[in-house]
Amino acid sequence: MTMAFFNFCCFMSSQAFAAPAAPDAAVGKTKAQTCFACHGENGMGIEPPIPNLAAQPPLAIFYQLVQFREGMRKGGAMESFAKPLTDNDIRDIAAYFSTLPPPPAKEGDAAKISIGKQIAQQQYCNSCHAPQFQGQKQVSRLAGQSKDYFITQLRNIRSGTRVDMDGTMGSAARGVSDAQIDALADYAASLP
Amino acid sequence: MKKSSVSLRSQGFSKLLGGLFLAGFVSAVQAQAPAPAPAPTAAPLPAAAIPPTWAQGRTPDGMNPTLVPNPPGISAMPAADIPIDKLKVPPGFKIEVWATGMPNGRSMTESPSGIIYVGTRFTGNVYAVINKGNTREVKTIAKGLHRPNGVAFANGSLYVAELSRIIRYDNIEQNLDNPPAPVVVFDALPKDEPHGWKFMKLSPDGKYLYFQIGTPANIIVPPYTHAAIVRLNLKTNILDYVAYGVRNSVGMDFQPNTKELWFTNNGRDWVNEDLPNDTLNKLTRVGANYGYPFCHQGDFLDPELGKGRSCDEFEKPMMKLGPHVAALGMRFYTGSSFPAQYKNNIFIAEHGSWNKTKRTGYQVVRVVLDSKGKPTKLEPFVTGWLQGETFWGRPVDVQVIKDGSLLISDDETGAIFRVSATK
Repeated sequence: MTMAFFNFCCFMSSQAFAAPAAPDAAVGKTKAQTCFACHGENGMGIEPPIPNLAAQPPLAIFYQLVQFREGMRKGGAMESFAKPLTDNDIRDIAAYFSTLPPPPAKEGDAAKISIGKQIAQQQYCNSCHAPQFQGQKQVSRLAGQSKDYFITQLRNIRSGTRVDMDGTMGSAARGVSDAQIDALADYAASLP
Repeated sequence: MKKSSVSLRSQGFSKLLGGLFLAGFVSAVQAQAPAPAPAPTAAPLPAAAIPPTWAQGRTPDGMNPTLVPNPPGISAMPAADIPIDKLKVPPGFKIEVWATGMPNGRSMTESPSGIIYVGTRFTGNVYAVINKGNTREVKTIAKGLHRPNGVAFANGSLYVAELSRIIRYDNIEQNLDNPPAPVVVFDALPKDEPHGWKFMKLSPDGKYLYFQIGTPANIIVPPYTHAAIVRLNLKTNILDYVAYGVRNSVGMDFQPNTKELWFTNNGRDWVNEDLPNDTLNKLTRVGANYGYPFCHQGDFLDPELGKGRSCDEFEKPMMKLGPHVAALGMRFYTGSSFPAQYKNNIFIAEHGSWNKTKRTGYQVVRVVLDSKGKPTKLEPFVTGWLQGETFWGRPVDVQVIKDGSLLISDDETGAIFRVSATK
């Protein structure tokens, strides 16, 4: 399904305005060649510190690439990769990754996963990240994400090293300990 | 409605809760597997703990994933793509795209030379918009600031209110292409992110910068320092408090004749879809208290914190503006080019709701006042950013400029629109 969107996502409605061309996943694949070296042509990070992009909501990828480009977010040398991209480039690239099959669910420590699941419910992560952690609109998919990356990002958001857009994630992250972050990471990785 | 404890600081509380849980305190929070759902729906989540700080005041059955916050505007829509034809104004007016290319452009101020300065909340930029007759030139004069939403011009300097400090760019108009490093004017301000971005306004006598310090959570008993409107004396650098109990005001202006301060105020979330209203208020005296968190909109006691209180203890609003419309920037119409009946009316930008299943706001409204300065009528002035239940733009601030036209900023498209009279 191609999603046509501007600065908002038509997740809930198929209404669209007939002005610019819709983001193009096929064009996006061409523009994303540089990304594959780390994020894989299948959207799977080649090493644990590198996030999976497969099946991410397109607006979530758009937001992160814009933030990297504008210097609002740093890390993984992403600023230099994002710099030459226009808004339309980013939309096309996001469209490509969003159409890929989601990362496979990972096996893990069943006890940890169970604890992670209950923390997620207590902290209401799914009120934004969606019931199966698949993400929506500008909110990232956590299901099947690399544990390593998940832990790093949530810790960085908690410490303020990574500044989230409106402070909600900062507040949410301050409510979880290192052990709880670990459990959440296992839980997220275990979701298909 | 379930009770929710709102009196504890959630950081410690959540850690305690998590700690208790991990220690085996399972019985009260025994969770069942939620029914598998392919898309976020209103499927009920298992009865669980009190929602954390970022969801303060929200009940467990209100954690509906369809009510995720709106995606913030952080890119600019090209002029050709802006659906200007969708915006409607009353007969006798027209609206045009005036300037574009300002990602997250929000609060505005006009300098004596006619340059418009624009602050942002998410992108960290400040823009200067220069009118070149048929077109506008937009310069990014600051980058990397922390929530530089408030802008004001005084004595040749641009003042910018960031999250926790006020800074100043001297001789800015002689140096738009090479702005000086800012001088820090005042930095002893709270650092809370929630409602920490500021709207700033210079007083008519040029002596004070007025701005708000919003409440640090949706519904909480705030410290004295928060949920307030303050003013900074530019000569003495002393900060004093003019209004308390103001949950979050992101729009202020001084009434042209009386010089009284009027301000909008955003009401709390998660009571229900229809309460409380956002409000339009007037500062009656220094130190007045507008009720938050105990009484909302002048007549609605907070279901949790209002127990044992009376709304009579507090100031009443001048007008209710509708629930969750996100009333932000406001200005008195002081120009001469609109028809006479618009003189001293108030225009208010409604950013639009995020936590209502049926969206409201997303428009600029007009408030008519009688000869005694009492609001008598509220009506839409510019509509069309909301189409059905989808929005393509969100107005943030309004600014009356020298030629009497009305500018409207929109932080979704990163554009400024201009409304002018056609006769």
